Amino acid sequence: MRVYVNNRLVELLPGMTVKHALINSGLLEEVQRGKKIYDEWDNEIGLDGELREGVRIFIKEAKEIKLEKCRRRKNE
Amino acid sequence: MAGIRKFIVFITLLLFFFIPLAFAENIEIRILHVNDFHGFAESYKPIGSEKLLGGVSYLAEEIKRLRSEKPTIFLSAGDMIQGNNWANLTEGKSVIELMNTMEFDAMVVGNHEFDFGQEVLIKRVKEAKFPILGANVEGLDVLKPYVIKELSGIKIAIIGIVTEDTPTSTHPSNVTGLNFHPIESTVGRYLQELKEKADIIIVLSHIGFYADRLLAEKIKGIDVIVGGHSHTKIEKPVLIGETIIVQAWEHGKALGVLDLNVEKGKITKFDGHLEEISPDKGREDITVKAIVNKYSKMVNSILDEKIGNALCDLDGENVRKKETNLGNLIADIIRETAGSDITIINGGGIRTGIKKGEIRVKDVYSVLPFNNYIVAIRMSGAKIKEALEHGVSAVEENAGRFPQVSGIRFSFDSKAKAGNRVKEIFIGDKPLEPYKDYTVATNDFLVVGGDGYTAFGETIKSSKDYAVIGGVIKAEKILYSDASRYLRDIVVDYIKKKGSIEPKVEGRIREVSKK
Repeated sequence: MRVYVNNRLVELLPGMTVKHALINSGLLEEVQRGKKIYDEWDNEIGLDGELREGVRIFIKEAKEIKLEKCRRRKNE
Repeated sequence: MAGIRKFIVFITLLLFFFIPLAFAENIEIRILHVNDFHGFAESYKPIGSEKLLGGVSYLAEEIKRLRSEKPTIFLSAGDMIQGNNWANLTEGKSVIELMNTMEFDAMVVGNHEFDFGQEVLIKRVKEAKFPILGANVEGLDVLKPYVIKELSGIKIAIIGIVTEDTPTSTHPSNVTGLNFHPIESTVGRYLQELKEKADIIIVLSHIGFYADRLLAEKIKGIDVIVGGHSHTKIEKPVLIGETIIVQAWEHGKALGVLDLNVEKGKITKFDGHLEEISPDKGREDITVKAIVNKYSKMVNSILDEKIGNALCDLDGENVRKKETNLGNLIADIIRETAGSDITIINGGGIRTGIKKGEIRVKDVYSVLPFNNYIVAIRMSGAKIKEALEHGVSAVEENAGRFPQVSGIRFSFDSKAKAGNRVKEIFIGDKPLEPYKDYTVATNDFLVVGGDGYTAFGETIKSSKDYAVIGGVIKAEKILYSDASRYLRDIVVDYIKKKGSIEPKVEGRIREVSKK
């Protein structure tokens, strides 16, 4: 099964989950530090979420943190 | 007689005027939904978060509140009974009792509902006071293809579908004799059957958001897809064509709320959101809380159960720097389970030891706290050497990658340069042959590159594409992959069977550095 994490190809066995994709791409620690996992439509997904061929996931700052930063910038 | 006649005329007129009225007026109904609960009965802090979320007693209270506002159906999109110890140690019985108390209206079977085997699943379905659906599953008669519910005169058909990939995510024996039919043709067939019988058609889906979108694009006539499987947090309903898609994240951390306005049997307006479930936000349902507490006590007594005796101390302290008897025991159990030539696992996966004396379930769970499962692949001798070189490359740092092995003996020189430390390697009594293929069992963590191992992943990449034939993964390099059973449970069963264990250090890994 081929999926993409932050646009990088990751190959997994069938039945593997988002967690496996993050271990493979070395990004699990970023999630442990507070980043969130999103699908290509910007919906947050869980670590145990099932994947399928061709799925794209992205590790990013949490939406609320981004909004907070925008607010702060506006106020500055 | 005349009185009866008058009464019949009166009832006929009543039906004549009021049934059409039900279709003419704007009727509000509500769909509440959860998915991928996985037995997370109690609140917890998700990875990377300091906030407590979930807690099924809080969820139940919120459901009561929302149900009281308008006619409601409450649905589950699958993967309810397996995952957390709270569910696993009763094989899902605890979750079904919860769901009965919370008065679910229907649930679709998820792929993980098969993880305890068909016999257990049939028991759970029979215990449920609500229908469990699986329209595309052939061979399990307790699963119904659909159910029709009536709310305020509106007939709502609910079709349940589960991923066709189910056979690849569980042990083949759990799905023996079952066929998982293609989603689109199954839904298409039932849509034809139900369009005359129902006003609204819901597909209760355990195929993931990506597949839900494709289904909505290809198959017309589905009003709502209530989804699960991908653990997607859809904060506002998504509209694809005329199909509304919703999904409520995972573990009961959110409750999905979808409000529909229905006129003349058609949806004219919809609005939806997720209610966050957290101890901070609401009150608890005390009946549900009592069930959670009852099973938590039961789970603790199961964890406290004596399963055997250790006739010696089982060394979990030195697994990152040398062969230990506990490492040997676990590696042997993995090799026996997978039927492979050898086992290579990471010492870092073994978190503690067990003292000589009685062994309890919780001792094994402390040794193996991670949700790892066994995978076996076919690897060349050269790749095996590469894996061992990586395993001993940071022994001086006590790195978790240090290997524990079975079916193999090797020596290494920790003073040599990393990548050139492994010396002799024997498989059984014969020297390792670089070009020969061997079957190697390990865990899912190392297969995906955990602890920096790349040899397993590279081997799989060189494999031809996978196929699922008769419910079994057929691939050139993959021999065994059973995500339905955690390694720790396999070790518990092994110790129960043996009664007493006394594993030894046998010279499988020899340090040959000059002091």
